Amino acid sequence: MKTLMLKLEPVIWMLFSSGMMIGALLLPVFILVVALGGGFGVVGGEALGFDRMVALATHPIGTLIVLAAMALPLWGGAHHLRHLWIDLGGLKTDGLVGFLCYGTALAGSIVAILAVVRLHS
Amino acid sequence: MSQKLKKTFIVTRFDPDKDEVPKTQTYEIEVEPDWKILDALNHIKDTVDPTLSHRWSCRMAVCGSCGMTVNGEPKLTCKDPMSDYGDTIEVAPLANFPVVRDLVVELEGFMERFQEVKPWIMVAKERAVEEGTTQQSPDELADFKQFSMCINCMLCYAACPVVSNEPDFIGPAALALGHRYNQDSRDEGAHVRNEIFRGEGGVFSCSFANECSEVCPKSVNPSGAIQQAKLGNVIDWATSFVVKRGGDVS
Amino acid sequence: MKPGGPMPTRTADPRPPDKYPGRGRYPSYLAFGASGAFLMISALLLIRGVWALGDGGAAWDAYRGALGHPISLVYHGVAFIGLTWFALRLFRLFPATQPYRMGPIKRPADAVLVAGLYGVFFTVLAVGTLFLGGALL
Repeated sequence: MKTLMLKLEPVIWMLFSSGMMIGALLLPVFILVVALGGGFGVVGGEALGFDRMVALATHPIGTLIVLAAMALPLWGGAHHLRHLWIDLGGLKTDGLVGFLCYGTALAGSIVAILAVVRLHS
Repeated sequence: MSQKLKKTFIVTRFDPDKDEVPKTQTYEIEVEPDWKILDALNHIKDTVDPTLSHRWSCRMAVCGSCGMTVNGEPKLTCKDPMSDYGDTIEVAPLANFPVVRDLVVELEGFMERFQEVKPWIMVAKERAVEEGTTQQSPDELADFKQFSMCINCMLCYAACPVVSNEPDFIGPAALALGHRYNQDSRDEGAHVRNEIFRGEGGVFSCSFANECSEVCPKSVNPSGAIQQAKLGNVIDWATSFVVKRGGDVS
Repeated sequence: MKPGGPMPTRTADPRPPDKYPGRGRYPSYLAFGASGAFLMISALLLIRGVWALGDGGAAWDAYRGALGHPISLVYHGVAFIGLTWFALRLFRLFPATQPYRMGPIKRPADAVLVAGLYGVFFTVLAVGTLFLGGALL
């Protein structure tokens, strides 16, 4: 596992760094409007209504934004948590932790792609 | 003459022939206000306790010998003014290094890391004398100059949490030095160095704590160099599938 | 930082940096790494939302209803603050990682780059919020 992770580091790091950027820029917007605005009932029901959301998420640009905001931050977070584990003295279990972190990111990315494909079909 | 100040120095001591582990010793001394930490240590050694061991040489932040931990921070003691501290000052050897004696650390592991990154200009074919000198523009020089200012004081290694936790990590100063050669317009060895950078303990072990750049007394910015080397390695790795890497360099 | 071979004299073991992990700049660095949890959880919750969207109007409304649960509100409140801090720290450190020049373009002063990145962050947040919230278009 460690050898495989070392081989794939350039790919993982690229996904990680773009995930940090995308996550830092896009996730706060989603959280503020949909999770908090919608959750507290501040943002109107129509704006977050089914028809408008589907229209936004299936627009070509919307699709790209939604896909990036779903998949890339997973890699950003996974890589961060793996390195946090090493920083806290967990090098011996790096292989297992790396597998769990990147495994979650990979599985999540596949589901994210499926979620978008489903919307379009 | 300026007014002398009373200071308490708590200094880490370790005698490999007697001590199991390092211990501390307290010295109460009078110092001049404009002294550096190193001046006080030399004063202790010269007038109070000749058994105290510490490394130093140039006293002007060039030789990189006098790095120690002052009040928990890695510092170049010849550059570190006494006026920055209160009445009690703790001096310990650099963290992350084995301690040979008192404030003196073992350098061998650090030296090995430097050799790993091949810190010299590598070319496929030596330039003949008749071809004249190699030209380099001011911009080409600026591409790497900052990373060439390292004085090997090892403060960056003492501050880095990855050095603590990953024994194989090549470390900030050595990786920055390797990157310095990769950025040099005269060098043709980047592909070779990048293979090392992508290997065990290479640039991708760095998690950008940025401590190396925070403590660097020469503003080398090793963490910046390593992040640039990561992107450089992504590109080098991706293009290696398309463009055949040619020729031997040495 | 031990050498590969045996050391000529007996040495004391290396100790970790004195302020690690709880003092100095280290807590901020470790918190930055721990913010990875916000990135992952928030992205997974977003995936859950888009999946619900694919299941139809009723599923989407149920998802929106769940966002009103106190646990969701507390998590997202903390995550919003955490991710904003994460973004600002990321953009503050970003300029130092950039090379002296990219092609013909020289790196601007760090303060200019940081101000620009902060500007991008708050512009995306403001415009994105107004647009997604239905106040634009």
